Amino acid sequence: MRRLAILLAGVAVLAAGCGGSSTSSSPKNLVIAVDVPVTGSPYIAQTIRQGVELATSNYNGGGGVRVGNQSYLLKVKLYDNHGSARQAVEDTRRALDAGAVTIVTDGTGVDATWQLAKQKGTSVAITYDGGSGLVDAQRRPNVFRIAPTNHGIAFRYAEYLIPKKLKVGLLADDSAYGREGAADIAKAFSENPKSVALKLTLPAGQSDLSAQILRAKRSGATALLVWGQPPTIAAVLSAARSIGWQVPVYAPPTGADPFVRQQLADHPSWVDGLTFASGRLTAEVGVGPFTNFQSQYEAAYGPDPVGVKTSDGQKVVQPPEFGMYSYDFIHVLVAALTHAGSVDPAKVTSALNQVTAQGANGDSRGFNEQSHEGVVDDDIYFARFHDMTYQPVHDDPLSATLPPIGQTR
Amino acid sequence: MRRALAAAALAAALTPAAVHADSQQVLLPGPGPYPTPSPPLATVTPPAGANQTFRVHSSSGQRVRAGIDAAGRVVAVRVLQNLHLTGTGDYLIVVPAPVLEVRAGPGSQSQPGQRSGQILWAGFSSQRRLLSADATLRPGPVLPFLPLRLRASRDGDRYALTLANATETSQVTFQGAAEKPQLESLLDQTRRQSLARRRLTPAYVTISGLVSQRRQKPRIEAPLRVTGELRFPQAPSSATGGVVDGRSVRFSFVLGDEQPLTRRVEVTGGGEPHVHVEVTPTAVVRGLRPPGAANWRTSRLPADALLRRLIDTRMELVRSDQYQGFLANPDPLGRNTTSYVYETAAAHRPPPAADTSTGGGNGTLVVLLAIGGAIVAAGAGLVAWAHS
Repeated sequence: MRRLAILLAGVAVLAAGCGGSSTSSSPKNLVIAVDVPVTGSPYIAQTIRQGVELATSNYNGGGGVRVGNQSYLLKVKLYDNHGSARQAVEDTRRALDAGAVTIVTDGTGVDATWQLAKQKGTSVAITYDGGSGLVDAQRRPNVFRIAPTNHGIAFRYAEYLIPKKLKVGLLADDSAYGREGAADIAKAFSENPKSVALKLTLPAGQSDLSAQILRAKRSGATALLVWGQPPTIAAVLSAARSIGWQVPVYAPPTGADPFVRQQLADHPSWVDGLTFASGRLTAEVGVGPFTNFQSQYEAAYGPDPVGVKTSDGQKVVQPPEFGMYSYDFIHVLVAALTHAGSVDPAKVTSALNQVTAQGANGDSRGFNEQSHEGVVDDDIYFARFHDMTYQPVHDDPLSATLPPIGQTR
Repeated sequence: MRRALAAAALAAALTPAAVHADSQQVLLPGPGPYPTPSPPLATVTPPAGANQTFRVHSSSGQRVRAGIDAAGRVVAVRVLQNLHLTGTGDYLIVVPAPVLEVRAGPGSQSQPGQRSGQILWAGFSSQRRLLSADATLRPGPVLPFLPLRLRASRDGDRYALTLANATETSQVTFQGAAEKPQLESLLDQTRRQSLARRRLTPAYVTISGLVSQRRQKPRIEAPLRVTGELRFPQAPSSATGGVVDGRSVRFSFVLGDEQPLTRRVEVTGGGEPHVHVEVTPTAVVRGLRPPGAANWRTSRLPADALLRRLIDTRMELVRSDQYQGFLANPDPLGRNTTSYVYETAAAHRPPPAADTSTGGGNGTLVVLLAIGGAIVAAGAGLVAWAHS
């Protein structure tokens, strides 16, 4: 009898061990690396990380992600690239050694890291930097992006501003971001040189731009399109408004950075009228999906305070736009894992071309074999500040269809 | 969905419950159901949310270019699809197709995306937008859905090209006793819509008493207007089925619509031709012409013959409409037009004869290189044609 019991126990052990095609009960970990400038641009780093963590915690809370017959818990590993390409390379090596299935990044150092990742078939997902050339489906098949592109913003600005018959001063700071944007803007306006009053490079980080703004005014500019870091945009507004020049100022997504409003908190009216371009936060279905996402985000991490108040004393918060992009990427990634039926990074990277997921704003997100951009040019809208909060403009066909998002608490 | 609904309506008309009714309204064919699932080409099910064109509507214009070899076999297929969007709003469009490569066509206001078996479009339309896709397709899965079959043969200096309408199919339909005046009126209405090249509008016929399935399934086809030219290196000496015009032989006819479904063009002399054939699904003209009368109200055909004519011609118009949409239009109510062009893709080059007299490995290598070169040359020719 004891021998029979031992035999049965042995059979049971063997049966458990031979379950190659059966369901495994204990989930394994699947690493998602997040490489962001924690110590360089903390707001951007934080919102990207939180978007990833929110999505992964939702999946993990439901038991993880089912890939084939195995469940996986998504484990986020955070790396700080300090905004340095060299550090991003080091981080990428460590992430690959840790077996990351993907690396979510603000975009720092991607020119150097994508090839390292490609050697292991691992995808790189940019969720902030819109620089042209970072993403190329043919040349960089493992690089994807969910964020508005500089190229798209530049062309949308040309489409928006040229019919207004403005004489636009094209200003860009000498940061890498400014230089890249200047190139895209110059290209977008190249077929309408009469719309351009002047092109001017501004020193990044300089708080007094009075001389440059005076020069822009004397050139006959009736609008300024400023492509630069948030301090540059704040400095341009400060210089123009302090001499009483109420010229309309247009900016890329950095115009919505809390830093601009914080810098001009003593002169809220100087921010009024500032227009920026970015990716739409709502889709045709309305504000519902984004509001749901924002509620989840704030429940988990609290609102992102801008650090300023409206004229009636309400605290202004920043909608988690870039958190939304990293959140969306995780959903597309999970769709790709399911499609691939494998956690092999190369298979998952390939599957990213074939799937669509619903984004936090209700729009579809996905990539394809021809394009690895998750935010198409048509998704770029314009919003204008008033009383420290912004609303979509009414004089652009897309923007006019978008409802405003609440930004006070 | 529209096809399914229409099919369900027809099926409902033929159920036993309906059979016992004294008098009933029976849905006639048109604008659906299409008798076969394809065209339009179907490869994948679009993801949820795609093609929901509530605010944005689209019409589709297509030009399908089929490259043929010397025997008339299709060896390459390329499609230019222009989707003209109207309305303001978001769009997410999936066009199923066995696509090898896609790029934006001339004047496109957006870039197409590509996935396995899909052409993708996503964006925002402000009143009007042109989405133009220039797609190279895998020929194999596409062949059964091209409307024309070509077969070329040679016997000495006689060259023959056979052109056959490949859209013929059979379809279940009904029969019953209908009132002659209503049938005449419906035939006149159908004729007006056909001659105006308009898609049929839904129509019902009143049947008294028994409604039953017609015993023999009618064979129907899309009438095809075919125009073509065979260009020869030298002037041919004679031709039948076409007209000699210098070094060319031209022909033009309709395959279907009470005319033969197959035609043959025979040419003597001239050498190996370059074939260019254009095909468009067209209207039913002869089938809807009242015999010996100006309109159907004054025709003398009996009611059962009128009902058969009405159903059959409407099915032919539906079949013709089906071939107007080779690739899918995301708007099921949108207008579709498609023209098909068959053209010689590359000159027929027989592989060079192997010289076995010298023997040895070098000879084998030369033969292999020669065959490889011929394949590469033919491939290059195909690529050049596809990008011409």
